[in-house]
Amino acid sequence: MSEEKEVETTGHQWDEDEGYPLKEFNNPLPRWWLYSFYGTIVWAVIYWIFYPAWPLVTDYTRGLLGWSMHRQLDEELAQARALQKPFNDRLEKMGLAEITHDPQMLQYAVAGGKSIFGDNCAPCHGNGGTGSKSGGFPVLVDDDWLISGTIEGIANTITHGHVAMMPAHQKEYGGSFDAKQVDDLTQFVLSLSGQGGNKEAQARGAALFKGEAGCRHCHGDLGKGSARDTLDGAPMEKSIGAPNLTDAIWLYGSDEATVRQSIAKGRSGRMPAWGMGTEGTNHKLPPLAIKQVAVYVHSLGGGQ
Amino acid sequence: MIAHSGNMETYDYDVVKKFTIMSVVYGIVGFLLGVIIALELAFPELNGGISYISFGRLRPLHTSAVIFAFGGCVLFACSYYVVQRTCKARLFSDALSKFTFWGWNLVIVLAVITYPLGLTQGKEYAETIWPIDILITVVWVAYFINFVGTLAKRKEKHIYVANWFFLAFIITVAMLHIVNNLAIPVNLTDSYSIYPGVQDAMIQWWYGHNAVGFFLTAAFLGLMYYFVPKQAERPVYSYRLSIVHFWALAFLYIWAGPHHLHYTALPDWASTLGATFSIMLLLPSWGGMINGIMTLSGAWHKLRTDPILRFFIISLSFYGMSTFEGPMMSIKTVNALSHYTDWSIGHVHSGALGWVAMVSFGAIYHLVPKLWGTQTWSVRLINVHFWLATIGIVIYIVSMWISGIMQGLMWRAYDHYGNLTYSFAETVGAMHPYYVFRAVGGIIFLLGALLMAFNVAKTIGNKGEPSPLRTA
Repeated sequence: MSEEKEVETTGHQWDEDEGYPLKEFNNPLPRWWLYSFYGTIVWAVIYWIFYPAWPLVTDYTRGLLGWSMHRQLDEELAQARALQKPFNDRLEKMGLAEITHDPQMLQYAVAGGKSIFGDNCAPCHGNGGTGSKSGGFPVLVDDDWLISGTIEGIANTITHGHVAMMPAHQKEYGGSFDAKQVDDLTQFVLSLSGQGGNKEAQARGAALFKGEAGCRHCHGDLGKGSARDTLDGAPMEKSIGAPNLTDAIWLYGSDEATVRQSIAKGRSGRMPAWGMGTEGTNHKLPPLAIKQVAVYVHSLGGGQ
Repeated sequence: MIAHSGNMETYDYDVVKKFTIMSVVYGIVGFLLGVIIALELAFPELNGGISYISFGRLRPLHTSAVIFAFGGCVLFACSYYVVQRTCKARLFSDALSKFTFWGWNLVIVLAVITYPLGLTQGKEYAETIWPIDILITVVWVAYFINFVGTLAKRKEKHIYVANWFFLAFIITVAMLHIVNNLAIPVNLTDSYSIYPGVQDAMIQWWYGHNAVGFFLTAAFLGLMYYFVPKQAERPVYSYRLSIVHFWALAFLYIWAGPHHLHYTALPDWASTLGATFSIMLLLPSWGGMINGIMTLSGAWHKLRTDPILRFFIISLSFYGMSTFEGPMMSIKTVNALSHYTDWSIGHVHSGALGWVAMVSFGAIYHLVPKLWGTQTWSVRLINVHFWLATIGIVIYIVSMWISGIMQGLMWRAYDHYGNLTYSFAETVGAMHPYYVFRAVGGIIFLLGALLMAFNVAKTIGNKGEPSPLRTA
């Protein structure tokens, strides 16, 4: 950079009273800078020739390539649809059980179902169907099914949704039992899964459970839930969806306070209906998507 | 020529001092707000469910505090200082100087009140509601008159290059602000933009991008053109380059806005023009960097002893990097990956922290002892600030690069059947660690600014003997 020193300044000077005076060399424009600048201008002009660029009175220059973002989108979508079409055509004709027996179609349905699940179901059921205790959203990866774990049953639940209603039992919240009775019921319910210790309270709670509280009408004679228990020895209506109280799986939590709250204030769980032509959510899934989600959920580990 | 002592008295340093102090204050406020919202993004429960301090309310407060409060006060202080010294003339009107100081601060206070209340017109970097917009306009016109009036009564024949940049900044920002904020008020706090649909979006980004171009680029190049040669004690490298890149920058920048709206309702042709003009803008932007860095050539050894020069050289490096990155991101195919991701956030901050804040810190450290006629209290502390700021920025930018590119790739990842591979929630979850790193970078940067505030306060009062800490 020694040649710089020989370059003249412009001869102007500012702010010389304090510190170093401001002066300017008059170096020529760096060649690489100038030619790179010209290069970008040439690039821009070439780009304008090939792509839509300059507005005219009623139209604009369309460019030699005929490119537009809408055409690009259409082409990419058409490509994706063409790829999926043969699969979708087959999927449409196949029954749900049939899909699970065809490895190729199963793979296709699970891949699509996972994607649809991620943006529609995961907000409540968690990524990969791991559930969420805070809202009482069931885990979908285990084999503890509230209504039905068959692939048809899962598809049915997705299409029509499900409304679960555990009524409030304590007087203050619209029930018909006092706080002590609710305490007793709580002790009994805890004992079903091997928790709690107050034997006397449990005995009183057991009487209520089987008697006037009527818990068994939904949860079954043994508290094993409507999906597997009996009522007076007869099979139960599975669509009730009342959970099994004897295992370690809990929708809202297994601690005493949570169980007590469930009994005292009741719970209401609502799975929206996703089928088109059903009441419920505004985010409808087409039948093909429901098929894929059902296959995916069924494949998560606990499908029956 | 006026005698040295008399000359010193004629300059209005009072308003420069006030703006300098407020720039330090607002810098800390702005950086702190940035740290808070960075932490809120990483840990959303930190907002405590209080709407006034939620991310959506504080984010515009952060951007406005940093750009218009911190950056604005730096620019007022430096342009008022530089125009007086390079014109050998006192500011045109003391009353206008005072009015711009109090008016600008009133604007900032009103923004601080209205944003958390949710009173905004919903335009990015132009959130202030219409009554405040009018106040901004009035203050800005006063600024323009004061600046041009000073130029008019200059006692130097030639107008120094820094002042061209300041003038371009003042005129263009006035135009951008007025055009973008044209609206029909319906009551004291609400108004409707006069532009419909995509035209409103286009005007907004014409404004938004040129706020970057003229507020954060041209004006700070004005700073650079004064403080770098002054601090390096070297003549500016090339007068010719300064003329060419000034006009090229001013002409090309104004076209680049549409690159913010690729693949939207904006017509293809506008998108193309935005991208191509952004590419053509690269070299004119670099003209400023070349002129700055080459001015230092022959004085490189000073970097060893002068941390203020280090601030300038690193700011020019970040300036060069982000003005390269910007045109790349404006290309449609790159933009399809980068748009709406954290990459944009990283890019903005390499400009805002790396270039704007660093060159401002250098200018403040240069200014304070000169304005108050004191000695810098601790040069060593300036050096510590330099390293904290540099490390903070690097952590910030790198984490946003990783997070942004990962985010963009996850959004567009398809399996071999054409299904989206990741749900949106999964992409959000994947960004968490980088959000934490980003906040750490921001905290380190903020610590540096706190050191600056301490050092500035000590320097203002440092009339006597320099403290033992003074030398590096």
